[in-house]
Amino acid sequence: MAANFWISSQFKELLEAEEVDVVNPLDKERGITLDDFKLIKLHMTNYVAKLAQSVKVRQRVVATAVTYMRRVYVRRSLTEYDPRLVAPTCLYLASKAEESTVQARLLVFYIKKLCSDETYKYEIKDILDMEMKVLEALNYNLVIYHPYRSLSQFLRDAGMTDTTQLTWGLINDTYKMDLILIHPPHLITLACMYIASVLKDKETTAWFEELRVDMNVVKNIAMEILDYYENHRSITDERVLAVMSKLAGRC
Amino acid sequence: MSEVENLMSKKRAVDRYLKREVLGEGTYGVVYKAIDTKTTQVVAIKKIRLGKQKEGVNFTALREIKLLKELKDPTIIELIDVFPHKGNLHLVFEFMETDLEAVIRDRNIFLSPADIKSYIQMTLKGLAFCHKKWVLHRDMKPNNLLIGPHGQLKLADFGLARIFGSPDRRFTHQVFARWYRAPELLFGAKQYGPGVDVWAAACIFAELLLRRPFLQGNSDIDQLGKIFAAFGTPKPSQWNDMVHLPDYVEYQYVPGQPLKTLFPTATEDCLDLLSKMFTYDPKARISAQQALEHRYFSSGPPPTEPALLPRPAPKRESANSKMSDFNPHDGPMVLSPPRKSRRVMPHREGFEANVRPENMDDHGNEVRQAAGERSEQVPMSLDFSVFGMKPPTRPTINSADRSHLKRKLDLEFQPEEE
Repeated sequence: MAANFWISSQFKELLEAEEVDVVNPLDKERGITLDDFKLIKLHMTNYVAKLAQSVKVRQRVVATAVTYMRRVYVRRSLTEYDPRLVAPTCLYLASKAEESTVQARLLVFYIKKLCSDETYKYEIKDILDMEMKVLEALNYNLVIYHPYRSLSQFLRDAGMTDTTQLTWGLINDTYKMDLILIHPPHLITLACMYIASVLKDKETTAWFEELRVDMNVVKNIAMEILDYYENHRSITDERVLAVMSKLAGRC
Repeated sequence: MSEVENLMSKKRAVDRYLKREVLGEGTYGVVYKAIDTKTTQVVAIKKIRLGKQKEGVNFTALREIKLLKELKDPTIIELIDVFPHKGNLHLVFEFMETDLEAVIRDRNIFLSPADIKSYIQMTLKGLAFCHKKWVLHRDMKPNNLLIGPHGQLKLADFGLARIFGSPDRRFTHQVFARWYRAPELLFGAKQYGPGVDVWAAACIFAELLLRRPFLQGNSDIDQLGKIFAAFGTPKPSQWNDMVHLPDYVEYQYVPGQPLKTLFPTATEDCLDLLSKMFTYDPKARISAQQALEHRYFSSGPPPTEPALLPRPAPKRESANSKMSDFNPHDGPMVLSPPRKSRRVMPHREGFEANVRPENMDDHGNEVRQAAGERSEQVPMSLDFSVFGMKPPTRPTINSADRSHLKRKLDLEFQPEEE
């Protein structure tokens, strides 16, 4: 059952962290550092989530959209592909791919409503043009497996159903990182469960050991998530603004 | 791929294919024949029209791309390439010579029991593959089963297909051409599974035996009537959940006919498999994989080698295009339900009798877009087997790891008993 992840396009597209953490030469010229790059992707993840809330789509659509956006920037530059356009376009495309289409018109309406900043304002035509470019950048691979898929199953099996909310929230936050591009989704699920089990003092060592997975990978993912939480505290709005201003103005 | 390589391949994408004649009008755009200069292979290119209502890349086309990128198998039509050109998306498919509908309708073709076994076996193999990958085809019918140059049958047209088994919403029951629609769909079921494809495959099986569509209803109600007239009105003991389906209506009881009467030429094994595929209760209906393991396929005669299967005689090569060649004198009138226009194939100028361009409405698309707007929690799919696919590494967690995590979380460290 469901053994299909291992033969999916997503499995074939999994990357090493070193391949993801590369600033495009064009962006480097603009003085964008690796930290800036990560911050922009984080900021855009939040933007997608905010838009998604307005247009009312499921978390899975948000997760797919963010995955698309992060994949795009493995292959394309921020300079040529303005993230302020790519982000809503990814949401638009993900809503179609996940069978809960949001009209471009509605998306544009909420962009205008939510963003006072002129640089975010794009029109329907811009989104539709970008859709084609995003599809190309994604190499037309649209099916994404998410850590949510196996979550309730695992929680039940580990006797951790009372941590569902916490674990779900942790998984949501993993999309603020590039984990989904690097690790098989079920390992991300396990890493979030591992953190939750430690937080809530659950004795789950035996359960984790029973699994035929590389717990070292799970632990490393968990550490990365915790590092993210630590770093996240130092991010201020001013910093985001400063980094975003390094991007080109509207083309 | 580096940016430079990317640019170069982008430049080449358009020039890679030498466009030949128009093959026909598909669900969402024109289909051309072309030569792939890279492989010298003949291909079919679907040019996707951009939606008029400013909704970007056609939803149906996107679905097809999405699923075909994941479904790579000899039993599934191969999506070779996708490229944008002049604002239109182009899908490059392997070129297929004909389809099963053309075979069934060709009165010059005699289908032996071994030929029928071969065609239905290939159909079921394709379905079993889709279902293993959690994809429902939802539009199984003879003209979506394409036949390649070596007689191989492949599933095509995944514009209605979708992934099932993940926590998901309800599905629309407005799928399949009516004659191939399973009874649970006709009763408005919103949650259904691979059984709907198996029912359609059974209809195709029956069509191969009869050489005409088996259950030709002209409305959903009539379709159910036709089904019940053939197999008898289902009793609640046969199909528990039936009365709870959204559009359930009580039908007057009619007894079924013996299968032997309906399919006089079929063997006992054949009828047994057919009856298992035509089971009313979708939970009790045989799966595609189980059907392939049925004794019908192991008992004689063995299925015909695909390359030796009878196919419509190739017509003269012509630059024929569009659906101009209406010829009501050739072949029996077989009208597909008017949901969408038929696929137009080359070498088949005489077989376009059922093309009804007036029915090329967008209705199909509307229906597709309506797919499952409401959300509904269905049980999560079990995902454990994925672990079995990985090398069985069993590292242990020691208490140091947990304490390290604890420190990171600024929580009190408590020694663990292990």
